[in-house]
Amino acid sequence: MADPKSHLHLARPLAPAAISTTAPSTAPLSCTILPQALFSILDHASRRPSDQERVIGTLLGTRSEDGTEVEVRNCYAVPHTETAEQVEVDMDYQKAMLGLHLRANPKEVLVGWYATSSELNTFSALIQNFYSQQGEGTFPHPAVHLTVNTVAGQDIDANTYISAPIGVTAERAADSCLFIPVPHEIKYGEAEKSGLEVIASAREKEDRSLLMQTDVETLERAIEQVLEMLERVSNYVSNVLDEEAEPSSALGQFLMNTLSLAPKVDAEDIERDFNNHIQDVLLVSYLANTIRTQIDLSNRLATAALTMGTGDVAPAADGQKQDGEQKRGGDRGDRGGRGGRGGRGGDRDRGGRTGGAASFAEMT
Amino acid sequence: MAEAAVPNTAPMREVQIEALVVMRVIKHSTSAFPTPATGCLLGMDIPTNSGTQLQITNCFPFPAAAPDQPSTQQETGYYQQPTDAATLAAGAPRAKSNVAYQNEMIKYLREVNVDAQNVGWYISTSMGNFVNTNFIENQFFYQKAADEKTVALVFDVSRSAAGSLSLKAYRLSPSFMASYREGKFSTENLQKSNLRYQDILVELPIQIHNSHLLTSYLHDLPQAPPKQTALDFPSSLADLSHDPYISSNPLAPNLDHLDLSIDPFLEKTCDLLLDSIEAHQTEQNNAQYYQRSLAREQTKITAWQAKRKQENQLRVQQKQPLLDENEWQKLFKLPQEPSRLESLLVGRQVEQYARQVDGFSAVVSGKMFGARGNLLPGEAQ
Repeated sequence: MADPKSHLHLARPLAPAAISTTAPSTAPLSCTILPQALFSILDHASRRPSDQERVIGTLLGTRSEDGTEVEVRNCYAVPHTETAEQVEVDMDYQKAMLGLHLRANPKEVLVGWYATSSELNTFSALIQNFYSQQGEGTFPHPAVHLTVNTVAGQDIDANTYISAPIGVTAERAADSCLFIPVPHEIKYGEAEKSGLEVIASAREKEDRSLLMQTDVETLERAIEQVLEMLERVSNYVSNVLDEEAEPSSALGQFLMNTLSLAPKVDAEDIERDFNNHIQDVLLVSYLANTIRTQIDLSNRLATAALTMGTGDVAPAADGQKQDGEQKRGGDRGDRGGRGGRGGRGGDRDRGGRTGGAASFAEMT
Repeated sequence: MAEAAVPNTAPMREVQIEALVVMRVIKHSTSAFPTPATGCLLGMDIPTNSGTQLQITNCFPFPAAAPDQPSTQQETGYYQQPTDAATLAAGAPRAKSNVAYQNEMIKYLREVNVDAQNVGWYISTSMGNFVNTNFIENQFFYQKAADEKTVALVFDVSRSAAGSLSLKAYRLSPSFMASYREGKFSTENLQKSNLRYQDILVELPIQIHNSHLLTSYLHDLPQAPPKQTALDFPSSLADLSHDPYISSNPLAPNLDHLDLSIDPFLEKTCDLLLDSIEAHQTEQNNAQYYQRSLAREQTKITAWQAKRKQENQLRVQQKQPLLDENEWQKLFKLPQEPSRLESLLVGRQVEQYARQVDGFSAVVSGKMFGARGNLLPGEAQ
């Protein structure tokens, strides 16, 4: 992740012709990348044809009104062939895919393109000019070029660039441009955090996969992590006290600040709040299960009644089984009836009515 | 990665999802929230020793169905669904325009070496509120083909935002498929097939899988690990909040699970439970109405039959030709029995809620006792 502060912008390349009425701003273009776009690029890189060094694709996303902020939200692969002399990008494919993506996601527009190698060459310039051209390109905004290095044995790093036109003659202008690095950051939302966490915990595994866990297991892991952290801190503190570890006043201060965050609440208040909430939780859980039982019972009554009434049709064993089920259901209903004050009246009422319906069925 | 050449018939055992799919589903679902988002899943099925493993390697969202196209007629005609955005989105996977969209998309994705086998669809939901006719119809639409290997992925937006990722894979059970194919959910049929609401959906275990590239990239996030083995101590408090190695660790550990927010969850669950009870009530009323009108018709018919019999006896005495005793079948029309499908689904939905609440209360009571033990250290022992 490049730190925005590490980029110094002396002059931002402006759009070839300023068409907007507001004065063009010279603030650096900032680029935000959502992790799914990066994941998709990496997926594409691992599916590239074996004879191809790099693969390219189109970046989709949103752009702020003045065009200084770009958010890369999505991307798709575009087939292309590259030889020593020439490069060919499947324009029809790019157009068709853009159309398909726009249908599902009208808000995400073309913002640039990516390549899976950090190399910038003449072909990059050619493609960059294609993506930033007027009409089908991103004009008047600059096209963002994202390079993700996926060469084996090297670090995977992402870089973002925009370009300025450069060239001595008109013919050379088409395949040359000046790439200017722009800062970018990788952002994720609250809901994505949970997904990323699971994905991240799979990274430590040998087979790179992880079974989905239940809530309790996740909680257990979180608690274990906290305990481990506490252990580390208390180890460190006792080591400092024993003069075995090097003390640090900043760390001490930080720990003090953290400890002082613990709320000082009256024991009675805690007890009261605790009891209120735990009762709420248990009540709702209890009610939900009571309702489930009642609906189960009502469903069974509704379908079981006919065979009950016409025992001569159904084999005797079947009738007995139904009877047993009925009894079981009844037991459960009784159990449900013992304490759920809130929902019970209505439920029992319904149960009764179901019974009524069942007896109707018997009559027929 | 070639597709399995021989059609494999082994039952599906588990679902393996690429990280890319997880992230895409999350993104699409959260951006569309609260409207349900639907999309198509791509991948392949791998036969293993103990059954088929379904690998989901890519996905793409469906566009919301065009508004001029009615989302599919409800087969159970007594319950009219409003055609709002939510219904349109929920009906998207089986809308005609989307089938064309899907085929086109798959055709293009095949060119860039993406697994071009349709293995199901995904839908986003809130608080596990997804068991309805739309869901069943969609999955049936996918699962009715002969040698299909498809699943429905359900992603719960609100529960995932509260901490742990909630992603489930479901299939319709074979017995339910058989009943649904017949299209009859009368009391009699249910007795015969012994189908209960517990048997509608089968849940499959989910595995998250990362590619090699992704694994190495995740190890580089948020930046390459520091070169020196031991970090220097910070010189001041401000350093702690600025040091990139300390301050920004976005992935693990995520301590959101320890958050003690109880009331919103309970409130929503109660709301949803009430909705379900209401739906159940409606079904019950329908069934009762049917029973009553059936009984009314039956009495009328018996009265008519008795009258006819008397008349015939009279005619026998008077040596006149007898009247047909079975003519009532033409004169009276027995009411149609309402489908029991909806009440089965309500049952399944309530079960879903109940399980959810059980899980939640298990977690929350643990957390609450922990918090109390922390705040009242004297009583913990």
